[in-house]
Amino acid sequence: MKTAYVVKRIISTLVVFVIVVTLCFFIPRIGVDDPCARYYPAQGNMSDSDYEVIKEITRKQYGLDGSAWSQYGRYLKGLLHGDLGTSYRAGSPKVWALITDRLPWTLVLSVSSMVLCLFFGIIIGTRCAMKRGRWQDKALMNASTITTAIPAFFIALLLTYILGFELEIFPAYTDQNLVSSFEWSLAGIGAVAYNAALPVLSTLIGGVIGNAQSIRNSVISVTGESFIVTAKAKGVTERGILYKHVLRNALLPVVTGLGMSLSGLIGGSVVIEQIFNWHGMGTLYLEANNQNDYPLMMGIMIFISGFALVANLVTDLCYSLLDPRVTLGEVSR
Amino acid sequence: MKTLAGLIKGVWNDKQGRLGLIIVTLLALVALFAPLIAPYDPYDVNQRADKGLSPSLSHLLGTSLTTGQDIFSMLIYGTRVSLTVGVITGIAIALLGSVLGICAGYIGGVCDMLLMRIVDVMIVIPTLPLTILITNVFGKSYVVIVTVFVLFGWSGLARTVRSQVLKLKSCDYVKAAELSGASKRYIMFRHILPAVSNLVVMSTALTCAGVMIAEAGLSFLGLGNPTAVSWGKMLADAQSGGSMLFGQWWTILAPGIGIFISVFAFMRIGLAMESVLNPAMKGRSGLGRLMRKMRRGELDKVLAEMEEPE
Repeated sequence: MKTAYVVKRIISTLVVFVIVVTLCFFIPRIGVDDPCARYYPAQGNMSDSDYEVIKEITRKQYGLDGSAWSQYGRYLKGLLHGDLGTSYRAGSPKVWALITDRLPWTLVLSVSSMVLCLFFGIIIGTRCAMKRGRWQDKALMNASTITTAIPAFFIALLLTYILGFELEIFPAYTDQNLVSSFEWSLAGIGAVAYNAALPVLSTLIGGVIGNAQSIRNSVISVTGESFIVTAKAKGVTERGILYKHVLRNALLPVVTGLGMSLSGLIGGSVVIEQIFNWHGMGTLYLEANNQNDYPLMMGIMIFISGFALVANLVTDLCYSLLDPRVTLGEVSR
Repeated sequence: MKTLAGLIKGVWNDKQGRLGLIIVTLLALVALFAPLIAPYDPYDVNQRADKGLSPSLSHLLGTSLTTGQDIFSMLIYGTRVSLTVGVITGIAIALLGSVLGICAGYIGGVCDMLLMRIVDVMIVIPTLPLTILITNVFGKSYVVIVTVFVLFGWSGLARTVRSQVLKLKSCDYVKAAELSGASKRYIMFRHILPAVSNLVVMSTALTCAGVMIAEAGLSFLGLGNPTAVSWGKMLADAQSGGSMLFGQWWTILAPGIGIFISVFAFMRIGLAMESVLNPAMKGRSGLGRLMRKMRRGELDKVLAEMEEPE
């Protein structure tokens, strides 16, 4: 791996991050003269001078004093120390604390869904590639166009109705005491899994089939390569070819895609979390939206983008380790 | 290269593509003549019935739990929101994405670098939270939603177009035009744009499908125009009104199927265009496809395509 390439990637990542932060900072300020007045609208029974005093206090508290640019400078400086600002909610909690409180719960959903998608996707995708053109393959192709056309939240609603209300197998809504009563025991983890079953399942259906389709295509394109023919000519068994030669190469683009989809791990399930009232980042963001809690919204956006940037950077660097041609700019992905 | 008419004809000859075309035409008619087809006007407060009625002859799909509007009429009126948002956004993205992609690819240099950095930023920013933030700042309306979708949705198409233009740039006919003194703008619009137009049309169909799903999601979250009748909002009302609790599954199934059918139709058209434009991409065996085309007397077309430089 060339050092120049690594440095270039890191610098471009930082530049993109600063632009994202700038956008997130200024979008909520568009058309607003005084953010403070929006936070604390004038009350009828209050004299102007009282209102000014209250606004002054609020400004100090939330760092809204000074010009927009000096606020921006302070925000960036805070960001360097890992400070994402203070939320407008009651008790003025730190945005960072709110995010870290919710993050694990979102990751429970998205990581388990991703792992299961990949696992079943690889199995189904390879099988269909082996049965290319037969009914299994055609079924997968039809299923993939159908599932991409169904929004995940509709699947979630259907599953809630069938499995939650009619058959009563899984809870239709997340148990509200799930978070407060959670403990690291078998029963505690079991309760989380029981409550997470429906949200995970509703993202799983589309995900597995989408993954399977792309793995199938990838396997088929590798099968046509001449080194597979060579392996066959050498007398390698079908299984040996599949595991040693085909899958190894076919999974490379899948891993890259995985790195890209890492960014969706946090922000991707807003609607699903909302349906099941899951205690995650998505519901946190919607709560912030309903309360016009702009620092919290900005913080979450910056956090998600930062996560995506780091994930992309790591994937790129890993990829350049696996395939040195990337650093030389010969392979455009 | 195919003309637009040729492309549509190709889609029509594809079995799945034909299905898509028929459905989209029907949906467009339903949206256009919604007031004639729907038995009630969901926007008219006086035409509301009792809340949560079960399906009957006077209310084919019953009435909604929260407002008592006729669900069948809402379903028909919902086509309007879904199709308008999807198609307008799709076309706007196609225009913006292709122009910017061609500029980035053909002019190159600073223009290219700048546009690609913007694309880098857009890929990173999470779209749904951003849309929510912007509807919060600018108000909940479909105009805002479409604007956000367009402003932050062109990056994918621009990238594809750009890479295609980079290939075209070294083609003989472009070189010839350059040598004979054609201006950059002339080349971009007379030579490059027609060459990528099929790609753009294809991706527009798929963009429409994606946008319709996104719109449904936003309306479901209550971020669309609160007074409009849309499928996403019908689902949200059904869920919050407790239709599942009362076992009124049709209030969820009806708008869901509406979303599914319209998205499916646009996807089918897009995929059919893809296989018409780029036969090698089609998953099935090449020989079988060749045989089918021969049967339709299209072999000449296939051969003509093969000879064309990619």
